[in-house]
Amino acid sequence: MKRITIDPITRLEGHGKIEIFLKDDGDVDNVYFQVPELRGFEKFVEGRPVAELSQIVTKICGVCPGCHHMASGKAADAVYGVEPPPTAKKLRELFYMAHFVHSHIAHFYALAAPDFVVGPDSPKAERNILGVIGKVGVEIGTEVLKQRRIAQEIQALLGGHQTHVVMNIPGGVRKGITMEERDDIEQKVRGFIDFAKFSLKIFDDVVLGNKDYVDLIVNGPYLLNLHSMGLVDANNKVNFYDGKVRVVDVNGNEHCKYAPNEYLDYIEERVEPWSYLKFPFLKKKGWSGFVEGQDSGVYHATPLSRLNAADGMATPLAQIEYEKLFKTLGGKPVHATLAMHWARLVELLYAAERALELITDPDITGKELKTPLGKVVGEGVGIVEAQRGTLTHHYWTDEKGIVTKANIIVGTTNNNAAICMSLKKAAQGLIKKGEIPSEGILNMIEMAFRAYDPCFSCATHSLRGEMPMEVLIKDSNGNLIDRISR
Amino acid sequence: MIKNQKILIYGIGNELLTDDGIGPKLVMELQKSHQHKNLVYESAFVGGLDILDIIRGYRQVVFLDAIKTKDGIPGTIYHFTPDDFKETLHLSNLHDIKFLTALELGKRLNYEIPTIIEIIAIEIIEDMVYNDHFSPEIEKLYPAIHQKIGTYLIDKTNCKSSIPEIK
Repeated sequence: MKRITIDPITRLEGHGKIEIFLKDDGDVDNVYFQVPELRGFEKFVEGRPVAELSQIVTKICGVCPGCHHMASGKAADAVYGVEPPPTAKKLRELFYMAHFVHSHIAHFYALAAPDFVVGPDSPKAERNILGVIGKVGVEIGTEVLKQRRIAQEIQALLGGHQTHVVMNIPGGVRKGITMEERDDIEQKVRGFIDFAKFSLKIFDDVVLGNKDYVDLIVNGPYLLNLHSMGLVDANNKVNFYDGKVRVVDVNGNEHCKYAPNEYLDYIEERVEPWSYLKFPFLKKKGWSGFVEGQDSGVYHATPLSRLNAADGMATPLAQIEYEKLFKTLGGKPVHATLAMHWARLVELLYAAERALELITDPDITGKELKTPLGKVVGEGVGIVEAQRGTLTHHYWTDEKGIVTKANIIVGTTNNNAAICMSLKKAAQGLIKKGEIPSEGILNMIEMAFRAYDPCFSCATHSLRGEMPMEVLIKDSNGNLIDRISR
Repeated sequence: MIKNQKILIYGIGNELLTDDGIGPKLVMELQKSHQHKNLVYESAFVGGLDILDIIRGYRQVVFLDAIKTKDGIPGTIYHFTPDDFKETLHLSNLHDIKFLTALELGKRLNYEIPTIIEIIAIEIIEDMVYNDHFSPEIEKLYPAIHQKIGTYLIDKTNCKSSIPEIK
């Protein structure tokens, strides 16, 4: 058996690696994706007041601090047995829509677009956001940064700081907004809608307008038949901030739908000896290994799974795009991993539209910002959709609200098994017997990973913007026979 | 045109991950111990595209970040410029673009990118465990690190050319 190791050896340690094992005949046998793990969060928060956690957890991760802030804030509400008043809930959700706009723009233009706008096997030096700007024009690059900055400004205004958010308190939010601030935000979120539509137009022109790309999405080595998870509202429409978690099976039928405090009845985590990161799976399906299909317990929690798990989008323009996506790709559910990029843009439009709904809601400038706290319940669960998967915070406290135990399932952790399987499938489809994989082939394998928008800043630790690869090809005895670096 | 003639001292890292937050901690303490009218101290936990909005408009920026190198000696202070920069722990992250790519993007889009960019990176030991205290070894080395970097920043502000003890 030969082994291919994609293992970055640079100045930075604490990195992830992809190992590809080849059979003796040169075909891919298995692929292992490994990342180091951050340790001790549960211990770190023990003994601290639950009311402080929503601020502490924003420092878990610099990529999606707002997601942790929201899930933590909702868990703290539950610990105190209170629901925030309508104005507070709407302000939280408005902040959260800006957080989604900020993140989804970054992923599409900085990480996804280089593979499609520049080309998956184009020279590495050109396959980045600079190459994208070179193709689509400097004006668009300027607009990308402008819209991201505006999203950050809205988060800073509502959240007190764009990353170290201090917005939530148990039962509500610290402060409201004035009419002047409302007017300013409304103008800004209208710009989000235009930009989201523009981004979908780029996807339409560049990706859907290219037969090879559509073929790659629909028929390439990127299909994975997994169950789909996503948060839905009372009408089973996609919701990022609130609702119940719904899982549909590989055929699109509802497998389960649960409230946040029921998650342990439906989700179980397992460990593998070769990985630091846990592998959640559907408890009622059980764990039957890294396998696809109806009987598997493996699910994914991604933009695409959220669309699969819902009956539609709650805003009109996003609903049109939702219908177009499923019509183009053969109906629900879609199992094409690369379609996550398209789904992410549909979500970008939804976030923009939902932000406009919220900022034009008369409640948004209301003065009732906090519900008086009730008696400490002693346990609370908060769930939101993070950009990269369903995020669960679960706290146990004593009668004074001091944390005695915590459990977090972060977005990317949900997708750990799915990412491993996607990488294996891509490697099996792309590495040919006896051929040393080119840099372009390695990138196409990495595309399977990138589609998930994985972030290990909190699941494990921050990694680099692009995964440097060193491929070690070894014989069946583990002897190095070749090395490829990029 | 660069409007802000001050030097931005920007600490990056997570103060809850043992030694990882040495950049922000240095910023927090240097702004008290090494005040100067031309120095602006800030810190956060971001990299990639967000860096552009942080540094735009300044004449100079000095990043303070943690680094882990193979067989590195804890407490070693490295000094990089964009020309010889490779990786520190936070100037890039998986969800975003590389630091140098971000700088190049800023130039192409006519951002007011500082004309002088420096990265000071401190070799740390532990960044995988949640703890709001340094590891014992870094804790012991910290006063000297603080003093060296503070001296360097003040010398720099006064336009001295030497770069004492920072390699």
